[in-house]
Amino acid sequence: MTDEAVRDRADAGSDEHAGGEPFEVFRQEKDGGPMVHGGSVVAPDALLALHYAREMFSRRGESVRLWVVRRLDVHELDDLDVLAPPLDRSYRKPGGYVMRDKLAAARERAGTSKPKASSGGRDTTGRKGSKP
Amino acid sequence: MTTTAASVRVSLDAATRAGLDALLLSMADDEFVIGFSDSEWTGIAPMLEEDVAMSSLALDEIGHARALYELLAELRGDGNDADSIAFDRQPAGYRHCRLVDGGRGDWAMTIARRYLYDTADAARLEAVAQSSWAPLAELVAKLRREEKYHVMHVSTWLERLALGGDEARTRLLAAFAKLAPDAATVFAPLPGESVLVAGGVLATPLSEAEARWRASITPDMVRLKMPMPPPAVAPERGRLDHSDDFRWLWTEFTTVRRLDPEATW
Repeated sequence: MTDEAVRDRADAGSDEHAGGEPFEVFRQEKDGGPMVHGGSVVAPDALLALHYAREMFSRRGESVRLWVVRRLDVHELDDLDVLAPPLDRSYRKPGGYVMRDKLAAARERAGTSKPKASSGGRDTTGRKGSKP
Repeated sequence: MTTTAASVRVSLDAATRAGLDALLLSMADDEFVIGFSDSEWTGIAPMLEEDVAMSSLALDEIGHARALYELLAELRGDGNDADSIAFDRQPAGYRHCRLVDGGRGDWAMTIARRYLYDTADAARLEAVAQSSWAPLAELVAKLRREEKYHVMHVSTWLERLALGGDEARTRLLAAFAKLAPDAATVFAPLPGESVLVAGGVLATPLSEAEARWRASITPDMVRLKMPMPPPAVAPERGRLDHSDDFRWLWTEFTTVRRLDPEATW
């Protein structure tokens, strides 16, 4: 199997992105689900990038929808410092308020028991959230 | 499959069964041989992504061959399974067409062969998809869903090579000059074909499928300034004569089978 093709591929490998430019691939695992980043492919254009995305991320049926985006069209926030809060922000999170004991006391006064998870009510007491 | 071949087999007369045998074998051998040829790119295709894509495409063809051999095994009902049909023949017993007989070649050769084969196969599958023999029509409906993507993929590559600068175009035209004269052997007349057409097992003669194929590729050929493939020379031998390249490929794909016929994996 040592032939011209092997040398061609080796030559191409020495040149960064010789096969085109990087595209970021987003995939949907099932209908209605979110598009999540799956990885990237190198391709000369968007059409071939979609073909390669199909082969890399769905040839065994792992995706029901695919997007590709030129990496050059993805813009990254360059000052990462603005993502790291300098002060305590726990007061913004629901987890900052411990409700469990108060709620238990209130239920006792009212003579009701804790609702079951299957009853449809969402008990978020003491749950750690991430939204401000 | 909702209709089993075994149940349908009894309702087929001997001439139709013989014609179906030739049709299934020709289609399966085409897929099998081009699949194995193209799998020779695994690890050495021009770029990593295309390596995966071409290997996956080659595997699709092996899968199609397997499904067709399985249907043929059911039709024959002689106890020989798909593997036996695929691997237990001498090279002269294979009925793939001359177009896929010549070995892998360079990338331009592979793309030219795939383009000619995939577009021709699409026209052939169209004729078979309307088959009155339900097991074949049902299988071909599935094959066409994958073949549609094959045509899409190879068409983009054909265009890239045709318009991709001097070296790419020169190599592509050289590959075309070598392969195009054999392209129409995909439609080489089959023994028993007229019986199949009379019974609706083939919706149209293969010669009509060839005419549809020519019409389907004309826009590409005009746009890319490529020559139309000529009629096949000696079409009656289009599936009978095999090259040393094929005999070499045969020794490759039968290696395990000849070492250990009982091997499974």
